[in-house]
Amino acid sequence: MDKVLMKGNEALAEGAVRAGCRAYFGYPITPSSEIAEYMARKYPKIGGTFLQAESELAAINMVYGAAAAGARVMTASSGPGISLKQEGISFLAEAELPCVIVNISRGGPGLGGIQPAQSDYFQATRGGGHGDYHIMVLAPAGVQEMMDLAIEAFELADKYRIPVMIMAEGTLGQMMEPVVLREQVAEFYNKPWATTGCKNRKPNIINTLHLSPDVLEQRNVHLQNKYINIKLREKRAETYMTEDADIVVVAFGIMARVARKSIMEVRKQGVKVGLIRPITLWPFPDDVVEKVSDTAKIFLSLEISMGQMVEDIKLAVNGRRPVDFYGRIGITPNPEEVSKRLLMLAAEEGLR
Amino acid sequence: MRKQVCEGISLASLSIYAGGYGSGKTEVALNFALEKAAGAGEVVLADLDFVNPYFVSREVKADIEQKGIKLIAPSGEFFLGDVPNVPAEIIGFLRQDNDMLLDLAGDEIGALMLGYLSRYVALRPNYDLYLVLNPYRPFAMDLHSIKELKVLLEDTANLKFTGIISNPNLVEETDIDVIRKGHQKVLSFAKSFGIPVKYLTVEERFYDQLFPEYRAMLKKLKLYLRPDWLQ
Repeated sequence: MDKVLMKGNEALAEGAVRAGCRAYFGYPITPSSEIAEYMARKYPKIGGTFLQAESELAAINMVYGAAAAGARVMTASSGPGISLKQEGISFLAEAELPCVIVNISRGGPGLGGIQPAQSDYFQATRGGGHGDYHIMVLAPAGVQEMMDLAIEAFELADKYRIPVMIMAEGTLGQMMEPVVLREQVAEFYNKPWATTGCKNRKPNIINTLHLSPDVLEQRNVHLQNKYINIKLREKRAETYMTEDADIVVVAFGIMARVARKSIMEVRKQGVKVGLIRPITLWPFPDDVVEKVSDTAKIFLSLEISMGQMVEDIKLAVNGRRPVDFYGRIGITPNPEEVSKRLLMLAAEEGLR
Repeated sequence: MRKQVCEGISLASLSIYAGGYGSGKTEVALNFALEKAAGAGEVVLADLDFVNPYFVSREVKADIEQKGIKLIAPSGEFFLGDVPNVPAEIIGFLRQDNDMLLDLAGDEIGALMLGYLSRYVALRPNYDLYLVLNPYRPFAMDLHSIKELKVLLEDTANLKFTGIISNPNLVEETDIDVIRKGHQKVLSFAKSFGIPVKYLTVEERFYDQLFPEYRAMLKKLKLYLRPDWLQ
């Protein structure tokens, strides 16, 4: 099949279109703006609603409305814009409204910079708004995956009635790789709960206010049960040369690409290194980390942040092995510096 | 002191690279600038991509300045910014007798900058305004889309294209067949516009094999901005 050379942002947007998403609400911000631009260009040709809202707050609440009406709907932003959307995301999570939220991430805190970063990991995986909730978080590592996981995100969102976030670094949004355009999704989930205009049925009411303590607790128990179910079924990770590895790098997104390059290099020098690449950041693939900790001697969390995912690795390893961290912010570590760190670690641990 | 452009014979050149997002303008401009700099005299390259600071010439500022290129780009605090920061010295450079290359941002947003500079460009003794095309990019795959882009860019820039640079590639997945098929497509677009295809740009690894076929129009590209972990 003929391939198309796409930017990550374009591939993600096209994936959403192919998943049947015909509603996009957003407010532009670098490095995510091409997603909005793509939709603005595409929808007039194929039918769909593109709306540049007056703010991120307005956009996320428009997502709430469209999702409540049963539409496949998406919004995209970057760091500061995602922070602004948090109130709405908490509401979406409680109302169990399926939608896709994209964070083409950049460095913070505050306005930060517009270079790539992974420092929104805590915000994404802990539930960045108020209340006891989670959203699912997917982390693509290439442009093809931007398209594939966009399609998958809409499926998961409808399947579990949960907001799904795609978190990809600015570089992944901006860089180009050849992609195969996937088939249009043809079958969709029924949404008997949606507010589609009440005729010959009981009204569907979507509401997040529960003043009765009993009802509130029941709602929370219901959500927690759903999260347990998702944790059982949907953890995803990719492993690379972990079978004989003494040092296991854990890295997601583009950092996993950098890590692979380093691993090949360091292996040539006789150090056995492997890689675990979480594809779902929530639920975190702790089962894979736990299994690999039977044979690995030490873990290294590699991040474009000051150390966030490292906490999930430590929870998964549960004290059985040491967990080291290497990360930068504003700058993506290159394969040479990662190799250097791995060789240093190997020397310290007597692994070469 | 530098000479001002005025009457008489001038050997000055000005090449402007415009096109859709991700068509390869920056890599083409960088390579052409380095080729010129290896020849003689000072070469001025203006990085006018203010849409965002990803994959822009200013990332390799130190390297190219060492090779004799004067880079004009957003500086200081705005070096990695995404604001419409027009380097003040650009008009001065455009009025001098020099070898200059302008690398615009993508689409009509990028051409806006050229619209602003067009009155100074028109005063130069000669200039080339190139439409860089990669027919493997979305919105650059059919004649209708290219026509739309061309009209939009020319209207925004207030200048007409003088040539096309054919840059057919799928980065790492490019092969000879991809180049030939893509280039054929670009030739057919060019024919319907009545604009000549001036160059076919290919990565170094394809140059020797394709040279007998395309001769002088073939130019080799070294990719300066592609991260090594992608290659």
